[in-house]
Amino acid sequence: MWKNYFKISFRNLQKRKLYTGINLLGLTIALVSFFAISLYIYHEWSYDRMYKDADRILKLNQEFISGGEKQLVGTSPSMLPVVLREEFSEVEKATLVFDLGIFSTVMVDAGAGNQEESKFAFVDEFFFEVFDFSLLSGQKSNLLQNPNEMVLTQSTAERLFGNVQSAQGKSLKVDGQEYEIKGVMEDFPSNSHLEFDFLASFKTHRHGKEPQWSPSNYYNYVKLKPGVKVSDFEKNLAQMVDRYLGSDQEEYGFQTDFYTQPVTAIHTGDPNLSSIKPGVNLKYLYIFAIVALLLMIIGVINYVNLATAEATERNKEVGLRKVMGATQSQLFGQFVSESMILTFGGLLISLLVLYILVPVLSDWVQVPLQLDLLVSPFGLIFLGGVLLAVGFFSGAYPSLILAKMEPIRALGNKIKLGGGAWVRKSLVVFQFFVSMGLLISTFVVKSQLDFMREVTLGYEKEQLISLSYPYQARAKMPTIKEEMKRTGAAVSIAQAADMPIHIKAGYKIFPGGDNQRELMITGYAVDPDLVNTLDLQLLAGENFTEFDIQRNQLEDGSEEFSVLLNESAVREMGWTAEEAVGKRINLGYMSNSVIKGVVGDFYFNSLHQKVGPLVIFHDPMEANVLLIKLPAGDPANHLAALEKIWKDQVPDRPFNPQFVDQAYANLYASEERASMVFTLFAGIAVFIACIGLFGLVSYVALRRTREISIRKVLGATPVDVLSVLAVDFMKLLGISSLLAITFGLWFSKNWLQDFANQTTVGWMPYVFSIALVFALALLTIFYRTWEVYRLNPSNTLKSE
Amino acid sequence: MIELKNIDKFIESRFQRIFLLKGINLTIQEGEFVTLMGPSGAGKSTLLNILGLLDEDYSGDFLFGEKNIRQMKEKERSSLHKSEFGYIFQAYHLIDELTVYENIETPLLYRKVSSSERKSIIAELLDRFNMVAKKDLFPAQLSGGQQQLVGIARAIAGRPRVLLADEPTGNLHSAQAKEIMEVFQDLHKEGTTIIQATHARENADFGTRLIHLVDGRIESDEKIS
Repeated sequence: MWKNYFKISFRNLQKRKLYTGINLLGLTIALVSFFAISLYIYHEWSYDRMYKDADRILKLNQEFISGGEKQLVGTSPSMLPVVLREEFSEVEKATLVFDLGIFSTVMVDAGAGNQEESKFAFVDEFFFEVFDFSLLSGQKSNLLQNPNEMVLTQSTAERLFGNVQSAQGKSLKVDGQEYEIKGVMEDFPSNSHLEFDFLASFKTHRHGKEPQWSPSNYYNYVKLKPGVKVSDFEKNLAQMVDRYLGSDQEEYGFQTDFYTQPVTAIHTGDPNLSSIKPGVNLKYLYIFAIVALLLMIIGVINYVNLATAEATERNKEVGLRKVMGATQSQLFGQFVSESMILTFGGLLISLLVLYILVPVLSDWVQVPLQLDLLVSPFGLIFLGGVLLAVGFFSGAYPSLILAKMEPIRALGNKIKLGGGAWVRKSLVVFQFFVSMGLLISTFVVKSQLDFMREVTLGYEKEQLISLSYPYQARAKMPTIKEEMKRTGAAVSIAQAADMPIHIKAGYKIFPGGDNQRELMITGYAVDPDLVNTLDLQLLAGENFTEFDIQRNQLEDGSEEFSVLLNESAVREMGWTAEEAVGKRINLGYMSNSVIKGVVGDFYFNSLHQKVGPLVIFHDPMEANVLLIKLPAGDPANHLAALEKIWKDQVPDRPFNPQFVDQAYANLYASEERASMVFTLFAGIAVFIACIGLFGLVSYVALRRTREISIRKVLGATPVDVLSVLAVDFMKLLGISSLLAITFGLWFSKNWLQDFANQTTVGWMPYVFSIALVFALALLTIFYRTWEVYRLNPSNTLKSE
Repeated sequence: MIELKNIDKFIESRFQRIFLLKGINLTIQEGEFVTLMGPSGAGKSTLLNILGLLDEDYSGDFLFGEKNIRQMKEKERSSLHKSEFGYIFQAYHLIDELTVYENIETPLLYRKVSSSERKSIIAELLDRFNMVAKKDLFPAQLSGGQQQLVGIARAIAGRPRVLLADEPTGNLHSAQAKEIMEVFQDLHKEGTTIIQATHARENADFGTRLIHLVDGRIESDEKIS
């Protein structure tokens, strides 16, 4: 029986090449997109699930409430894991990770001179007890117990020492300090939120020797004992906070709480929490999943539409089979087997295409997609599920229509599928609704991206480069600055803590002086040249001078720290810019700070966040980078001149300039990726929908060949004929447009919600998307109608 | 074997009922070879469809053997349909995508006949109609007469007791038509009940009974020998 089904299905598919081709193409494209997105989503979802006790490992974050304002922070104090280990019976282990990369790069010398490295962290000796990464050499029991010990990852060991064995026991210098390599571990998997090349013992660090409650710069993790309830643990945490920090909280009127986050939720968690690796917005994952599903549905709809349209051609076969005794379920089986065969073919082709595409795609989305996941048992079940679902949904409806046909009517000539037409129309509406909706979404995503790229940031990022330097070279910076300016290759140079695109250092303003409010504030250590170099706008007061430096270096207790505040900070404290100048505030260790001037707000983080309060203080000793404003003209020439001076002055440090505008663009890498994904898949959706329309119009045109010929004989022009066929479809597209506009409005509201600074989306995306789809659909219809129109009426009318 | 009592078949138009069949009373004995004749629209095909259980939308009683078709369950009716009837059409109605062999095999598949039995039945039929060499050809590669032979082979593959043929020779030359009618005659001699509808008077001579239909009524019913 099944053999017979398959045989006839094959012959049918072979016979109708256009029909088979369109269906196969549509299904294959849809399946490739579906699988690619699935692999991507799986990768993002699988983050941090590979640790042995992943369900018991939690990260500790901090909630800080002050002055009614709540702030969530991804880091916590170095004292926290110590207390957890010593006082919490429900805690199995706690560990600390100090990611140096968020502050600066380090210079690593493994015998071949200094190299700049950024994936460097201090971790305590409990790290490997919480995260069960395997060691390739060394022993877990005596890792990182003492100061100046280090663990390398496999690829780092191979890069610096040739292979794992020769790295073991060697020593290397980091910023001049010597470390002994006690072990080599496997590389961090691509789906771990931890990503380092070097793990140094935290005991090397001063807070490792002497843990403190401040600062809160550390990522802390805890592994609970089996069976412990997270809520109970958090309750105990709260009591612990009262014990240790209660008096401080009362005195300074702030409140801090620690809360937990499952390790598996870090990657998809709150994007505002600082993290080792940029996470992924869970919303994007959902959107991608929906897009994948929609593409698959569009592909299936193509099949359903074509198959129902085609059912009219197969009524004779169905009628005969019924006369010969076929039951409805037997017929149903036969037609579903046909769609299964086609789906299976599409599946095989799509896997082949994926095999070729995966390297390209991985590179493109910056995520290593693993195709071999699909041949794992789970993957095979997934593939089987997709095959059955797609095959069934494609085949079920047309099969039902065919199987239900009455034999007499089916045998007697052409029949009209009344009910089928209704369903088919809805499906076409849906297809084009999805196509238009995706196009509109693409434009929304793109316009926000363009907005972020082109918005006035409040400072000049063009022709601005950043050069990082080690603290050992700090003394030479004034000389270097002078030299560079003298050559004319730099207009202005400032020393600063970081590039102005992501200033993260968190400070606190305590009550005192002229201000009684407490607030979190971002701090930026710079020298007096910053205002000129970035072309910041001074709203009131004046810039730093050399005299200010002398004032804050007095150590007789009368020292005074000059600071600049941004507009937001001044507003928070309830002053106008003019009022603020000369006021005194308490910045913790810089308790006697005087507001020297107020600068206009500028964006110092990604546009996801609003501009918050910022204090700029005069402290070149805290600076890590040179910000250099180049003169107009080709940067390459200027850079060559600058490099020469750099090499003369700091020969052991590579000259590694970064363009600030490029680094700024990198902030939006994930939006950029989303935008590309949208563009690609919207294009695919439109394409699949159009080939489906092509097939559908082909059938309609074929059925109406005689009518078209008669009209032609009566003198109809091609446009007349086109309008006969097009009007019906245009009506459907009109409905799709209305739905798509509704969807677009909803989508843009939702998407833009994530951005504190939003673009305004006008009507253009809507008009353009809808017009584009209409044009493509018309073109498709026209092409098909033209072919029929060209036929000689005497041929088409002859046989009746 | 078959008894029709007062069969009416009509379609409702806006102002009146149009009767396709009116007051048909007909008894057919097992082994008869009945020819239905009459002008176009007389109701030949309609009557044939009702006899073949392809049309259930009529009034009156239809007894097959002792049983009233109307009182049968859907399942019984469909099994009766499968086991007792064979159909032959004017336009042959072979399935274009299947070979001669597979076309003949199809009704056997729906009757769940075992594979080896199918092979022997089909071999026998192919042999009988001298089509062994053509078994792997598709219908489009055959002449009209040959296609109709396949149609007959397919209709009798399931060994039905009643063979229904609607204008079986309507699309054929007279020589081919004669050949087909001779096959019918042989089948009749073997005991199959045959009911055919035709325009051609000469076809009736192969049968045992001739019924004239006019405007949905039986006008005459005569034995011929």
